[in-house]
Amino acid sequence: MPPNDDHPLQREMLQGTLDLLILQSLVPGPAHGHTIAHVIEHRSEDVLQVEHGSLYPAVHRLETRGWIASFWGTSENNRKARYYRLTAMGRSQLEAQTNNWDRLVRAVNRVLRPAE
Amino acid sequence: MEWLRFVRRKSWDEERARELESYLDHEIADNLARGMTAPEARAAAQRKLGNETLIREEIYRMNSLGFIESIWKDVAYALRGLRKGPGFTVVALLSLALGIGATTAIFSVIYGVLISPYPYARPGQIWAPVILDPQNPGRPFSFHQIRDYLELKKLPPFSETMATMPENRLLTGDRAPENFTSVSVTANAFQFLGVAPILGRSIQPSDLGPDGQPEPVIVLSFGAWKRLFDSSPEALGKRLVLNDQPYTVIGVMPPRFGWWTNDGGWLVLPEDPRDTRSVAAIMRLKPGVSPQAAEQQLQALHLRLAQEHPQDFPKGRFTTKLNNYLEITAASGAMQSSLVMLLGAVGFLLLIACANVANLQLARATSRAHEISVRMAVGAGRGRLLRQLLTESVVLSAVGGVLGVLLALAITKVVVVMMPDNYVPNEAVIGVNSYVLLFSAAVSVLTGILFGLAPAIKSSRPDLVDALKDAGRTAGAGSGGRTRNALVVAEIALSVVLLMGASLTVRGFLQLQQVAPGFQADRVLMMGVQLSPKRYVTYRQRVGFSEDVVAALSSIPGVQAVAIGNGGLPYAGQRSTYSIEGQPIDQSRQFALCLISSGYAQTLGIPLRAGRDLSAQEVARVDPLALINEAAARLWPVGTNPIGTRVHVDMLEKLPPSVPVPAASTPDMTIVGVIADTHNDGLRNPPAPALYLPYTVIATTGRTLAIRSAMQPTLLLNAVRERIRGIDKDQPLGRPITLEEVLGSETVQPRFNMALFSFFGFLGLALAAIGIYSMLSYTVARRTHEIGIRMALGARRGDVLRLMLSMAGRLVFLGLALGIGASLALAKFLRSEVFQVPGTDPIALAGVVVLLTLAACLACFVPGRRATKLDPMSALRHE
Repeated sequence: MPPNDDHPLQREMLQGTLDLLILQSLVPGPAHGHTIAHVIEHRSEDVLQVEHGSLYPAVHRLETRGWIASFWGTSENNRKARYYRLTAMGRSQLEAQTNNWDRLVRAVNRVLRPAE
Repeated sequence: MEWLRFVRRKSWDEERARELESYLDHEIADNLARGMTAPEARAAAQRKLGNETLIREEIYRMNSLGFIESIWKDVAYALRGLRKGPGFTVVALLSLALGIGATTAIFSVIYGVLISPYPYARPGQIWAPVILDPQNPGRPFSFHQIRDYLELKKLPPFSETMATMPENRLLTGDRAPENFTSVSVTANAFQFLGVAPILGRSIQPSDLGPDGQPEPVIVLSFGAWKRLFDSSPEALGKRLVLNDQPYTVIGVMPPRFGWWTNDGGWLVLPEDPRDTRSVAAIMRLKPGVSPQAAEQQLQALHLRLAQEHPQDFPKGRFTTKLNNYLEITAASGAMQSSLVMLLGAVGFLLLIACANVANLQLARATSRAHEISVRMAVGAGRGRLLRQLLTESVVLSAVGGVLGVLLALAITKVVVVMMPDNYVPNEAVIGVNSYVLLFSAAVSVLTGILFGLAPAIKSSRPDLVDALKDAGRTAGAGSGGRTRNALVVAEIALSVVLLMGASLTVRGFLQLQQVAPGFQADRVLMMGVQLSPKRYVTYRQRVGFSEDVVAALSSIPGVQAVAIGNGGLPYAGQRSTYSIEGQPIDQSRQFALCLISSGYAQTLGIPLRAGRDLSAQEVARVDPLALINEAAARLWPVGTNPIGTRVHVDMLEKLPPSVPVPAASTPDMTIVGVIADTHNDGLRNPPAPALYLPYTVIATTGRTLAIRSAMQPTLLLNAVRERIRGIDKDQPLGRPITLEEVLGSETVQPRFNMALFSFFGFLGLALAAIGIYSMLSYTVARRTHEIGIRMALGARRGDVLRLMLSMAGRLVFLGLALGIGASLALAKFLRSEVFQVPGTDPIALAGVVVLLTLAACLACFVPGRRATKLDPMSALRHE
C-alpha cells in the first residue's frame, strides 16, 4: 500500500517538491544522503534548508516506489556511505514532475502578477 | 511484492541506522573542517539531523502493514475482555460448544454413512449396469452370465471391469460345520477396489490360469480371520475346506473392507464361458467417456446377446442403465431420512446457540456503549471499532469451536454406539475426520461473523452525545432492547420446533411399543436351516428332512410346540394374486403366502377364530387345504363364510422349474380355518391379508423353524443342535434368534430417533432457558435505578415481580405461538418416516407447551427474585 497518500494538499505539494529536488540532485550521478542535502542547499543558495529529518523518509519512499536505487559505496573522504542513483522510471518521473512544476509556477505567477 | 517490505523491515531498519550513522560521520567531518572542536562538531551534526529515532520510526511505519499489527492488538484486547467477564464468557462458550459440537457430530455421522461410506478407490467413479424391463418395473436385472460378462469386459468405453458372485459354501474340516459366505471375484478385483491386505497378499491376476481356471486360494475378511484363527498371523498358508474342496489362505483384509461380506472370504472367480452361473459386474469408465455413451454401447451388446440366448434377458423390449455405485448402495430409506432430519435439528440448535451468543453480545455492547463512545470521541474510526468488535466475536467463536470439536468427539461416539447396524453399509466407519473438522471450523467462523456483525454494527453507531451523558442509566428497554427481545423470541420459537420434533418421535416410539403383535412373542426360538441342494436333490429327500427335524425337536423335554414356516415367521412372505371361487376376479388384490406345518398357530400363540388347524397328516399328504387370517376373511363378501370355499392361488401355477414339487399338486385350495390377525407386515403397518398353505407344496432348500419352549428359549440351543446333528452331522445351522429379538429390531430405528431428537430437543430448551435467564438478569441490572424509583414511590415487591414476569411472559408466549405455528407449517412439508404420528398430535403439542413454560418459569425465577430483593436506597444510589 502506498504510504501516507492521504495528506492534505499543502503538505503534498511540499513533499512532492522535496522529491523533485532529490531526483534532480541525482541527475549528474549517484550521490549519498549528505551530498544530496548539500547539493540542494548549495544550489538554492541556502534558501532551501533541507530538513534532514524528512530527507531520509523521502529517500526511502522514492526507493520503495522504484524511482531511485541504492548501493553502499565509499565516499570522497574514504567513508562507507549509502549511494543513490536515478532509475529509468525515476528519470521519466523527474521529467513529468518538472513539467508539472513549471506549469504550477507559471499558473501561480499569472495569478500573482496579472498585469504582465 | 508490497508486503515483503513488512517481512524485511527489521533488516531495513538496521540498514537505515547505519546510513544515518554514516551521515553523522560526514557532517562531523565537515564541521571539523569548518574549524569546530570535536564535541561541538558532533553536537552540531546531531542538531542538524534531528531525532534519529523519530526518523527511523517514521521509516519503520512506512514499512509496516497496519492491518496485521492491529489484528494482534485486537485479539489480545478481546482475550482480555473475555477474561474480565467470566460469566458472559462461560455462557457464550457453552452455547457455542453445544451448537457446534452437535452439528459436527451429526455431520460426522452423515459423512461416514451417506457421503463416504466406502474404503474403495474412487468409489464415486464406479458404475453398475442394470437392465430395466418395462413389463416388470419392480425387478431390474443386475446380473450377467459369465460368458456375457466376458463379452462386456471387452467394450471400449470401460477402462476396468470386475465381477462378483456371492455364494454360501459349507465349511467343514476339523471344526463345527458352518455356512461360510464365500464371494467369488474376478482376479483383478482387489486392484479395481484399490485396498491393500493387512496380512499376506490379495488375489492377483496371476491367480487365474490361462485356461480361465482359478487357483484354490482364499483371502479372509477381518471378521473371519478373528473368528476362525483368533487373529493369528499363522493363518497364512492354512487350509479351509469349503464344499469339500481345500483352499489356501493367502491374505487377510482390513476390518473396513467388506466387499459383499464382512465375515466371510473371497475366492477367485473362474472365467469359463461354459459356466452358467451369473455375476454382478461393475466398471470404471475411460477418461472422457460419458455414462450415456457407455450405456448406449452396453445396450447394443445386450441386444445382440439377447438374440443369441433370449432366455437370459427379459422378453420384449428392455433398456440398459448405468447407475453410480455410490448412489445405489449408500444407506437409504429410514436411516438416510432420519440422519437428514437430525442434521436439520442440529442446524436449529446451532441457530439457537447463535441467537444466545448474539443476545449476550448485544447486552454487553449496550453496557459498553459508554466505553465505545469515549473511544470514538477521542478519534477511533468506525471501521476500526467495528473490526475490533468483530475480532472479539471471532475469537469467542474460535474458542467455542475448539470446545465444540471436543464435544463432537463425545457425541459421535454415543451416536455410533446407538446406531442400528443393519442400516449402515458394511464398510462405513464413523469418526470425526479432517473433512468434518473443516466443516466445523467453517461453521464456527461463520457463526462468529454472523453474531458478531449485528451487535457490532449496532454499537458502533451510538449517539455520541447521548451515550457520553450516560443516558443508559435511566433508559428502560431502548432500541437495543427490541433486538434482544426479538432474539429471545426467535430462540424460544426455534426450541419449540426442536421440542416438537422430539415430542413426536417419543410419541411414535411409545405407540409402537403399545402395538400388540398378534402373537405371543415370549419364549419362541427361531432358526434357519439351509440344505445343500447337491446333497438333498429330490422332493422326498428335502421334505423328509423337514419332517424328521420337526419330529426330533418336538421330543426335546421343555419344547411345547415346533412349526415350520416360510414367510409368516413372523412376517409375511411372497405375495400372490388369487381368485375366490364364485367371485369376480380382481387382479389388484394380493394375499401374502405363508408356507406352514401343522401347529403353526399354536407355536406362535395365534388364536384360532373359526374352523380348524391343518393336521400333520394333511400337510404330509399335501392336501389342498389352507388357513386364512381375519384380514383375508374380510375379502369375502359380507355374510358369506369363507370356510369350505375354494381359492385359486396364481403363484402355485408359476413355481420356478428348478424347485421340486409333489407329484400331484393343484393351485385350488379349500379354506378350513380362520386365525387371528398378526402384524405380519411390520408393526407400523396394518395386518396384510394372508393365506397359510402346507409347506409341502414346494420343496425349497431353506426352511425356518419356530420352537416354543416352556422356559428361557436359548437354553434349548444345545439340545436343538444335537438333535439336528443326529439327523445329518454335516448340516449347519443358521444363527438362532428369539422372536422377541426380531420384534425388538423393529423398534431400533424409532428408539434411535427418539433418543437423539430428545437429546437435541432438551439441549435446545436448555439454551433457550439460558437465553431467557440472561436477558432478564441483564434487564434487572439495567433497570435497577428505575426499580429503586418505583419502590421509593410506593411500589411493592409483588408489583416489581409482576413487572419483570409480565415482560418475560410476553416474550415466552410470543415465542411459543410462533414456534407452534412454524412446526405445524413444517409438519405439512416433512412427511418423513422419522415421525410416526401426524405433526398435529395434540398430546405431543401439550407436552411441549408444559415443558417450555416450566423452563421459562425456572429461568425467570432467579433474576425476578433479585429484582424484588433490591433495597430502594442502594438501588437509587446504584450507578
